[in-house]
Amino acid sequence: MAESASPQGPAFESPVVRSYPASRAGDLTLSDESAVTKWLVRAGAEGPTADLLGAPFGTSLVAPGGALVLGSRPGEWIVVGTASDVAAAVAGLDGIEEQEFCSALDWTQGRALFRVTGTSAARMLEKVCGLDWSDHMTPDGAVVSASVALVTCDIARNDRDGVRSYLIFCDRSFGQYLFDALIDAGNEFGLSVAAASHSHSAA
Amino acid sequence: MLLVPCPNCGPRNSTDLRYGGESHARPDPNTASPAEWRAYLYLRDNPAGWLRENWYCASGCRRWFSIERNTATNEFRDPPLPGNKRGGAA
Repeated sequence: MAESASPQGPAFESPVVRSYPASRAGDLTLSDESAVTKWLVRAGAEGPTADLLGAPFGTSLVAPGGALVLGSRPGEWIVVGTASDVAAAVAGLDGIEEQEFCSALDWTQGRALFRVTGTSAARMLEKVCGLDWSDHMTPDGAVVSASVALVTCDIARNDRDGVRSYLIFCDRSFGQYLFDALIDAGNEFGLSVAAASHSHSAA
Repeated sequence: MLLVPCPNCGPRNSTDLRYGGESHARPDPNTASPAEWRAYLYLRDNPAGWLRENWYCASGCRRWFSIERNTATNEFRDPPLPGNKRGGAA
């Protein structure tokens, strides 16, 4: 978790400070990926910014540079990836302010990011979030915002190698609490805390 | 559980939203009398039946919208289309 999140920013410190047992019996894993660079972009729901980022509300895509772009709310996007990938994805915004009001904010220090991966990830989420996590309602690539263990979160389904996987974003101050809450929810499925992987390609 | 049909997020548990009260037309501040302002600010119809209400999708899209709810049965009708705040009949 010592990866520096931003070239100009301070060294990143994860909100998750406790240590956890390394492995359990099940295939469900939880990892803290808070150090990954995260940007928040806001603009009109329709316009040049929406055209540039290309991910309508509720969907996600991989930008040409490799960053993951999430349409988290109408007129709001989260761009996730390595610092260089994110910089490439938002580089086109520089000239857009002449066409519409647009803001882009480095959110890395302010948001926690966790990844839950495993065939029982949806059943685990059902315990802490009231949404329908079936393939029909939330297929791979879907993005939703909802309350997870009473914390407002952005959730993106981002399967890894055909295995169900979710990215969960929340405010940094709730990070340790939410991490523990997810562990509690996943215990019955044999959840283990895994080392973070800093790749966010949906491929 | 009360399922509120958010125009952007779909049906959501009411705990994910914030109730914004009855939806009233705001009087013109240049012409409204003190009595009209008082009625706008403090008086509610509170019917046992259909009522247009404001809701804020706090955990979802963070948008305000207006929808009709039957206060006796908790049915909803006339939801706005995505991107709009008010239903078609409004």
